[in-house]
Amino acid sequence: MNFSLSEDHLLLRQSARSFLEKEISLSRVQVPGATVADASYEANWRKITAMGWQGLVVEEEFGGLGLGCIELAMILGEMGRTLAPSPFLGTLFGTWALQKGGSPEQKRAILPDVVAGKMILALAIAEADGSVDGPCREASAQRQGDRYVLTGVKSFVIDATAADWLIVAAQDVQAGRRAFFLVDAKQPGVQVELLPWRDVTRQVCDVRLSDAVGEPLAMADEALWPWLRDRLVFAQAVENTAGTQRVMEMTSDYARERVAFGKPIGTYQAIKHSLADMLGQAECSNVATLYAAWALSESDPRASIAAAMAKAYTSEAYVSAAHRSIQIFGAIGFTWEMINHLYYKRARANAELFGNARAHRERVIGMATARAA
Amino acid sequence: MDFELPGENHPARKAVRAWFEANPRPSGRQLAEAGYVVPHWPKPWGLAADSELQLIIDQEMKRAGVTPPRNPVAVNNCAQSLLTHGTDAQRARFLWPALAGEQTWCMLFSEPSGGSDLGALRTVARRDGDHYVVKGHKIWTSLAHKAKVGVLVARTHPDLPKHKGLSQFLIDMDTPGIRIRPIIDMSGHENEYNEVFLDEVRIPADRLLGKEGEGWALSVTQLQTERVALSRPGAIWGHGPSARELVEGLAEIGALQDGALRDEAAQVYIEGEILRLLAYRSLSDRMNAQTPGPESAVHKMLAAPHGQRVVDLAKRAQGPRGMLAGEQPFPSQLLEGEDPYNDWDYAFWFSPAVTLGVGTQEILKNVVAERMLGLPREIDPTAQLPWSETKRKA
Repeated sequence: MNFSLSEDHLLLRQSARSFLEKEISLSRVQVPGATVADASYEANWRKITAMGWQGLVVEEEFGGLGLGCIELAMILGEMGRTLAPSPFLGTLFGTWALQKGGSPEQKRAILPDVVAGKMILALAIAEADGSVDGPCREASAQRQGDRYVLTGVKSFVIDATAADWLIVAAQDVQAGRRAFFLVDAKQPGVQVELLPWRDVTRQVCDVRLSDAVGEPLAMADEALWPWLRDRLVFAQAVENTAGTQRVMEMTSDYARERVAFGKPIGTYQAIKHSLADMLGQAECSNVATLYAAWALSESDPRASIAAAMAKAYTSEAYVSAAHRSIQIFGAIGFTWEMINHLYYKRARANAELFGNARAHRERVIGMATARAA
Repeated sequence: MDFELPGENHPARKAVRAWFEANPRPSGRQLAEAGYVVPHWPKPWGLAADSELQLIIDQEMKRAGVTPPRNPVAVNNCAQSLLTHGTDAQRARFLWPALAGEQTWCMLFSEPSGGSDLGALRTVARRDGDHYVVKGHKIWTSLAHKAKVGVLVARTHPDLPKHKGLSQFLIDMDTPGIRIRPIIDMSGHENEYNEVFLDEVRIPADRLLGKEGEGWALSVTQLQTERVALSRPGAIWGHGPSARELVEGLAEIGALQDGALRDEAAQVYIEGEILRLLAYRSLSDRMNAQTPGPESAVHKMLAAPHGQRVVDLAKRAQGPRGMLAGEQPFPSQLLEGEDPYNDWDYAFWFSPAVTLGVGTQEILKNVVAERMLGLPREIDPTAQLPWSETKRKA
């Protein structure tokens, strides 16, 4: 029992922070009218892959570092803190799906190239209404001989534009249930449409499949999806927590400096109390997310409820903190040139992906009462 | 990092369990001498226990059905000051009876003229030969009617600025000149709190705790220690039902079928689980740090309104029946144990107090923002002036 991060964890986080502060700039998206095309995706990805972070969670037999969720949280948190635009998240999600669900051949074919920084992945799971738990109504897979052909639409796919391979959830027509498929993103039957997503630090896409060839992952949906869902929402909680912390820090810095009526605005209780609430939310987010990181890394039976709690709590905390930040900065915080709206948009966008806070609360209360019964 | 709590086969757990098997009905004195009342203290009073051992002792005591001696003011707040600031004679005289629960303590801090601005207090202790003579009026004193020992903060130097002229004393509550009057709070309960009138109360000079002028620093430390002590999961200052019991109760009466209430319950449940984790972290911090820091204020700032939400949701699930005095929401959770807050109805009507006592919510937010975020302190125009001068103006 020890509720603190180890020296090694803190060191890892610090090195990631120093690197990102030096290398990642959002100045181009802070220009009014900027889109995700201005977010330096490719340049950032080159820097990140040079650090080898894309291999963090890849098992050692495929050349990765084989690290767990606590170590991942140290690095991913720093990317959430800086909103670093890059296809890291899509690649991480695809890596998780493939590593857990893929056959040894599939893993050998792709994971070493991911580690080498030569391959980008994306996970196509959501329906047009945002649902991710299946069944799959909008994309289907037909077996034709020894291969599958996929047709339909996947929505809100993170980092699909850059992806070389997609992991696609589609309804297996013959089997009558959802399954996951490995799909070459560069084949003619795959059309990727970059969406006008409000969070311009992230590429979010629709993917249209017309007779796209796919290869099923070895693991069935009911085994893979619960495992994968815990990690996807955990990753979001990590981003949310780090973003909340950053927003709190920059807003309290501003409240110490900005003077009104002869005093720094942070002297006034209306501001002070708002920031104290933000700090409370940051502390809660932090402990909830670390608990989930620990439970996932230990394969603890509480991992699912821990991840759902972290996602539900941090989604709303981040939105609230980012909104308060705009309020405390005042009118300047409402302009495009300031960074506040980028955090607010990331917070809002994360809150809607992979189930909103209420949906995860429903899962939590279900698990909590099932345990009691 | 490891969130695993100590398991069934932990060697320390076996030792503690064996002690409780050998001493199934220990007296307060036996518990104190075993080091189980304040395990985090140094020997001989405690076991210099880390957070793990302290948690084990807590759990094993509960498992054995043993209630520790109830002396919260001594155990949670003030007695620790004797280790750092007391004399040998004071430690010898006061500590064992306090830890054994043989002598109940109370804190004579708040005054009618102001609670949050404790430093402005008006009770005066005037030196007279080998005694101090105290005159003043204290309020909101928990347990004063049962207490043998009072920890008094009073003004010994009226001509110094307000925080600099305070001193602390350990007084006998049966000293002539002390009068105690119970306060009946809005819940209708009597004797939880009291007013205490001190009229020319003579205190031997060797009852001064620390030095003259150290009263403010001691009081602040003791209040922060209390905030740590309050970081248990119960809704009312760590006592009484928690969000887990709320969800069990709501499930039992079928209230979770209502979608809106179900979502609120989930929200409160998640908060409760997160606060549990934060409390464990506070426990670790308390072991590592010499004196508790502002983190304890964060926990109280979060836990107090959370507790209000727990009892509020239980009350709302009852509908109009909940407005009947004494009506309980959950049939299977009826008045168990000695903890008065296990009574859901009482806990609800008491709950407005939790954002008032031990630092109002507003003061806690100031402390959090100023000490953890470095926001500028609001200038107290009276802080640097001689107290006697500010009093004349008032």
